[in-house]
Amino acid sequence: MSGRDDMAAPADRSYLAAEYVLGVLDARQRREVELLIARDRAFAREVAAWQVHLAPLADEIEPVEPPMHILPRLRSSLFAQRRGGGLLESLGFWRWLAAGTGAVAAAALAGVFVLSRPKPVPTPPTAAPMLATIKLDDGRPAFIATIDLAQGTMLVLPVTATIPPDKVPELWLIPPGDVPHSLGVVDVAHPVAIAIPPALRSAVSLQAAVAISVEPPGGSPTGQPTGPVIAKGGISSI
Amino acid sequence: MRGGGLGMSDRTETGSGGSDRERLRDVVLAVAGGDRAAFETLYRLTAAKLFGVCLRILGKRSDAEDVLQETYTTIWHKAGLFDPERASPITWLVMIARNKAIDRARADAGEQHAAPIELADDLRDDAPEPASAAEAEDSGRRLDRCLEQLEPRQRTLIRTAFFDGATYESLAARSGAPLGSVKSWIRRGLIKLKACLEP
Repeated sequence: MSGRDDMAAPADRSYLAAEYVLGVLDARQRREVELLIARDRAFAREVAAWQVHLAPLADEIEPVEPPMHILPRLRSSLFAQRRGGGLLESLGFWRWLAAGTGAVAAAALAGVFVLSRPKPVPTPPTAAPMLATIKLDDGRPAFIATIDLAQGTMLVLPVTATIPPDKVPELWLIPPGDVPHSLGVVDVAHPVAIAIPPALRSAVSLQAAVAISVEPPGGSPTGQPTGPVIAKGGISSI
Repeated sequence: MRGGGLGMSDRTETGSGGSDRERLRDVVLAVAGGDRAAFETLYRLTAAKLFGVCLRILGKRSDAEDVLQETYTTIWHKAGLFDPERASPITWLVMIARNKAIDRARADAGEQHAAPIELADDLRDDAPEPASAAEAEDSGRRLDRCLEQLEPRQRTLIRTAFFDGATYESLAARSGAPLGSVKSWIRRGLIKLKACLEP
């Protein structure tokens, strides 16, 4: 291979894949490349090939022990474990709770949902499936969630939610007279299946409220909502 | 030189029993199935490596901590996208960490790296000592050999770009070379690398 500089179009794109993996592109070029990866399989394969080619260089990077607090944070944000009461850190959140939420009439949405939902997993007759409609202030649904207490699972589907790019939506369960309990981080673009922690299952009832707050990546660092509550709602039976 | 933690390349397979890569692959696949214990195992096996990668690109510990947390959050949600046919598990994990760290670096206005880069201006070979000849030619060894065939300045720039996640502009500023030359050296180096790695 000589060092000639004739850059035909295909070669240019090949630079782009290598340049992306190498890390020399600026933010705008990186977004363009990511769009290209998403819609062009051949290009995505080139990127993957360069990742495999250059990966051995990372062997030379010395491992550094990360601080101890990261794993517990991940655990609580990803697995929605219940943590101790904690102080109320989101005034706005409590303001809407005080305003009274009650059960949200979700019949219309429930109808739509039943038509479009995937084949249900067989559930014992002891626990009827429930539906949570989590609405924006203007009444439009931000998320809808089906709750299967028999399985201890919840499927959270985004509807119209938007969120700043460097933040994540976190889902909270608020039993009557109790503090919010994290059910985990959800996603504005994809359905997320949540395993309801066993300790919280008895708290999932038609009297409980649910809410979405805006949190830093990985979820609230405190175990209570730290960002604004963008959507809230109640739980109804289907 | 390549010591410490999990190897990125196939060389782990040529080592003692070749179990690292397979074990890690199984752990990632279990994470894809929603196995929380597997996620914790994965974290314990790989967090130091990924933190090293983030720290190298970002320089600042607090930024690297944030990005590490984002990285594992993504790994938990996207483990189902890992394709063992396409890449080794550690390659997949490191590339997620690098992408997030580079994105963070680009989002921060400040310059992460300022250390000058010294570029040799002739073809003097200052390649690192080749690894033991007895070592099998795995993908890491092959990359070493192919990098050794580049001009020293091409090799220096490509290695620095990879480790620091530095832009062409930053590499030009730090090496004192014109932007056009830096781009052209790196691109020609990449072409040579590709020809050597994909014969």
